[in-house]
Amino acid sequence: MVTKTVTVVNEQGLHMRPAGQLAAEMKKFPGCTITIASGDKTAKATAVMQIMAAGLKKGAIVEITADGDNEQAALDKAVELFESGFGE
Amino acid sequence: MRIVDLLSKDSILLNGAPKSKAEAIDMLVDLQVKGGNISDREIYKQGILAREEKGSTAVGEGIAIPHAKSSAVTAPSLAAMTVPGGVDYEALDDEPSDVLFMIAAPDTNADVHLEVLSRLMTLLMDEDFRENLLSAKDVDEFLAVIDKAEKEKYPDEPTVPEEPENTDRIKVLAVTACPTGIAHTYMAAEALEKAGKKLGITIKVETNGSGGAKNILTDKEIAECDGIIVAADKSVEMARFDGKKVLATKVSDGIKIPEELIERIEKGDAPVYHHEGGAASSSSSVSNESFGRKMYKHLMNGVSNMLPFTVAGGIFIALAFLIDTMMGVQPGDNFGTVTPVAAFFKTIGGYAFNFMIPVLAGYIGKSIADRPGFLVGLVGGYLATTGSTFAKIGGDVPSGFLGALLAGFVGGFLMLVLEKLCDKMPKALNGIKPVLIYPLAGLGIIAVVMCAVNPFMGIINTAIADFLNHMGTESKIFLGVILGAMMSIDMGGPFNKAAYVFGTAAIATGGYDIMAAVMIGGMVPPIAIALSTTFFKSRWTEEERKNGPVNYIMGLSFITEGAIPYAAADPLRVIPACMVGAGVAGGLSMAFNCTLMAPHGGIFVFAVVGNWPMYLVSLAIGSVVSMLLLALLKKKKTVKEPETKNVK
Repeated sequence: MVTKTVTVVNEQGLHMRPAGQLAAEMKKFPGCTITIASGDKTAKATAVMQIMAAGLKKGAIVEITADGDNEQAALDKAVELFESGFGE
Repeated sequence: MRIVDLLSKDSILLNGAPKSKAEAIDMLVDLQVKGGNISDREIYKQGILAREEKGSTAVGEGIAIPHAKSSAVTAPSLAAMTVPGGVDYEALDDEPSDVLFMIAAPDTNADVHLEVLSRLMTLLMDEDFRENLLSAKDVDEFLAVIDKAEKEKYPDEPTVPEEPENTDRIKVLAVTACPTGIAHTYMAAEALEKAGKKLGITIKVETNGSGGAKNILTDKEIAECDGIIVAADKSVEMARFDGKKVLATKVSDGIKIPEELIERIEKGDAPVYHHEGGAASSSSSVSNESFGRKMYKHLMNGVSNMLPFTVAGGIFIALAFLIDTMMGVQPGDNFGTVTPVAAFFKTIGGYAFNFMIPVLAGYIGKSIADRPGFLVGLVGGYLATTGSTFAKIGGDVPSGFLGALLAGFVGGFLMLVLEKLCDKMPKALNGIKPVLIYPLAGLGIIAVVMCAVNPFMGIINTAIADFLNHMGTESKIFLGVILGAMMSIDMGGPFNKAAYVFGTAAIATGGYDIMAAVMIGGMVPPIAIALSTTFFKSRWTEEERKNGPVNYIMGLSFITEGAIPYAAADPLRVIPACMVGAGVAGGLSMAFNCTLMAPHGGIFVFAVVGNWPMYLVSLAIGSVVSMLLLALLKKKKTVKEPETKNVK
């Protein structure tokens, strides 16, 4: 299991488009369970609705955890997406 | 930000049947427009379509949430549609969408969009919730389903939405005050608090009642509030509100239109208050008030402070007469001071009376010009009682309460002018202005003013005395009318004194009928006022009514001063009414050949009144005449009994 902490940089927070993008990318690692946690909220990184329900605003501290096949690659991808602001 | 608060009934469509994504969007945009928060349908729709270009907002599980931030949105709002069987919304999972929510967010940086999205998702993740939405029979049930789910997921939230920022802050502050500080102050406070609760706006009300200020506003609260409502008919401390939005109004507005006042503060519809007057602790000059209202406020400030002196002193003096009567003292020059106990009460009561006129003037001055005005008013009022002139600085003919009113007003406004003039002085002198310059200059000015005014009182006094002497006793009844009326013109001023001196002088020469007319003229005003407060309650303020019964005692004891607070509060109506009644009583007393050999004592010396039954009749007739005139001349108070007032 690997874990890393990132910060939401998107001006509008993790709204629908970034959430969808994260979920879509994370679905590419089927053997790996990836979760994101911020405060008391947790979400499966593959479940777009859960991510949106967490309502992550700009500046929110998010802990990403990957556990399973290819876990380091999955974590790296997730971190990359967060840090790049999901291309925004 | 609750979903049910963003979703109006007009923006919900159950069992819609769009054939395509484009049609679904059109229908949802129309629903948003019905909600009333879209200023331009096309611009908003373009925003929605642009968002869909970047990827479908159908997030799976049959849910689609099209959304746009747009300048065409005036306030955050939602539209909702259920589509049994679903519509192809180009979902990622290719499943049809059956629950559609459209978000409209204003084009600002606020996180409202994300919050609404987060909340919708939290609710929609629950499959039962989606089922319930789809099976809702009508719009009300649809909203009830959301409301129930929101309450379960967010149990801590109050149903009434609160401001998201800084919820423990008090938004609206208020100060209520009335001259008497017994009823209206608290009624206005209660009305404002109720209105605040109804509007969902936090409010704190400070009451400046007769027992001092309660629930005092703190500096922190003042700094944080949106604005302050000052519903007051007397001066309240204003310096602390400098730079805040202040809505200054009458105390009755606080009772009658509290919601309007609070809403005006919330809309920012109140002028920013700028305090003037430097170190002074309070201010009377509230803007937006008519000149007459301000004058009334100053006057009532003086009257309400004077009233306790009148009541306490008057009762002491009446007690003295009673004691001497019970001790079997023969009425004479020193009636009321013969037995030591009576002398105690008469003297102390008299000393309390001595403060009455200066206090009246002092508090008028203070109301106008703060602390500097207090000194000039107080000393000016005292000079009105001594009647000091340049020629006779020790005192001549007192100008009574009319002179004191002059001292209070002239002194107060002179101090305001003086403060203005002193603005030009070097800053280095600022510290000594309130402690040295204002008091010193003020004292000098008021002394000159009063010494200049008082001689006229002397002239009036002499002229009247001459007039009375020349009138002689040819027309007895007419003389009685004149004397009686004079007693109640100024209740201690030159007219009163001239008549009284004339009456006591007449005793020496055997004119006992004259003294009888004089005394009856001085007894009518307090009795008439007492009767009026009993039978015509609507003409008087709460405090005036409460103190009314004391005037029966004072009137019967020939303590005309009891009427002064009432006359000072409304001289143009009260004095004429009293004069006519007193004149009638004086004339009747003469007509019935009533006589009196004692210069004082009221009902306690009736034993020595000649033809006392008719004297009593004269007194009753005169008092009733005055009472009726008071009812006729005085307007009904706009704000009446508390009982009728609480009914809204």
